[in-house]
Amino acid sequence: MSAAHEPFDELVAGHVLGALEGDDARRFAAHRAGGCAECERAIGEYHEALARAAAAFREAPPARVRHALLQRVGEAPTRRSRAGQALGWVASVALAASIAAVVSASWVRARYEVRLDQLASEAAGLRAALAQQVQTVSDLRRQLDEQEKTLTLVKAQAAAQERTLALLGDPETRLVSLAGLAPHPQAQGRIIWNARAGGLLVAADLPPPPAGKIYELWAIAGGKPLPAGLFTVDAEGKGSLAVAPLPGVATVDVFAVTLEPAEGVQSPTGAMYLASKKA
Amino acid sequence: MVSPGVDLIRRMAGGDHEALAAFYDLYAPLAFGLLRRMLRDVEEAAEVLQEVFWELWRAAGEYDPRRGSPEAWVTVRARSRGIDRVRSVRRREEMLVAPLSETAAVPEAMANPGALVEEREMVRGFLRELPAEQREAIALAYLQGMTQSEISAHLGLPLGTVKTRMRLGMERLRGMAGSRT
Repeated sequence: MSAAHEPFDELVAGHVLGALEGDDARRFAAHRAGGCAECERAIGEYHEALARAAAAFREAPPARVRHALLQRVGEAPTRRSRAGQALGWVASVALAASIAAVVSASWVRARYEVRLDQLASEAAGLRAALAQQVQTVSDLRRQLDEQEKTLTLVKAQAAAQERTLALLGDPETRLVSLAGLAPHPQAQGRIIWNARAGGLLVAADLPPPPAGKIYELWAIAGGKPLPAGLFTVDAEGKGSLAVAPLPGVATVDVFAVTLEPAEGVQSPTGAMYLASKKA
Repeated sequence: MVSPGVDLIRRMAGGDHEALAAFYDLYAPLAFGLLRRMLRDVEEAAEVLQEVFWELWRAAGEYDPRRGSPEAWVTVRARSRGIDRVRSVRRREEMLVAPLSETAAVPEAMANPGALVEEREMVRGFLRELPAEQREAIALAYLQGMTQSEISAHLGLPLGTVKTRMRLGMERLRGMAGSRT
């Protein structure tokens, strides 16, 4: 053994016994990776020496181990075909290697391509199903929104009707008729009025207001017109307006409707379309 | 000397179950004895033994007779799997009262008269050609899976001394083996 190799003689012994660690283990691995015939020979001979030494321990194992091993081997899938065995060991290994090189690539590809295709189509199916679900959910949400709007409207209508009923049940409530005036004599209106609770105006046969214009209701008390709300009419000339109570006004003498600029005004400026008779 | 095992391994590589059975009958006592010395517990040793021969069966195609005898092929793998198990057992037992090294280490066993007599005889048979201090260093590494620094701490010896004893013991063992064959 050369003097230059001497440090490694110690490492080889430690390596074979599995007792190297840290820097020693790294140093020996690096040395061995460089290819050292002397070390490889020593490793082989040390292993042989330890195998001979271990023979001192020879002991028959429990019979069940053999049975379990052979059963396990029997159940495992066979690795080589019978034809491969008949060719003899060397030939079969060489053949297996060359066949494996050619076959395994295409076999693996074919097998996995099928599987991948399957997965891809499954994924596409799932995506479609998911899109469908999302569509359904968004449809449902839209329906829900619409129903909510309807519900709000219905509630508002119900509240208005309830107010109307309450208004009608009140002995102080008056029903006032409004008559069409010169611009559109066939127009007519009714107002249910309660000084404390307010009231409701319904109008019919009014011409739809031109662009930029709106109808405005006035409550005239003590000769002074007070703005009581804005309203428009549909294509049939029908319109309605909930009127809030007018603070400090016990008695309204006249209700009147004029055509005003769309944003409404504080005192009437336009033509009068409807008016009640003085109470 | 051509071992009968070489032919059996070739047949095993070809998928021959009968060859495996014959190979097992020939080499299982060698592997099992070694595992028993490493693991003490028969159940543990039997479990690892089955694993070792399963691996040998699967690896039969990679066996190269130019690189070692069937005996070395078997013992290297048995020792390797055995040490894996020794270390996992030790980790498990470190949480218990008596660490494995106290009940199983060679020096304590030998220093304890009246107990583990059989054990002592076994260990004496193993590497009996070597001086006691070289045998001790090799046995602690090979059978107990201790590293050189663990052996140094365990025996209260300088690390360099442990390394030297291992090396001298292994070289002597190799020389004897060479002269014997």
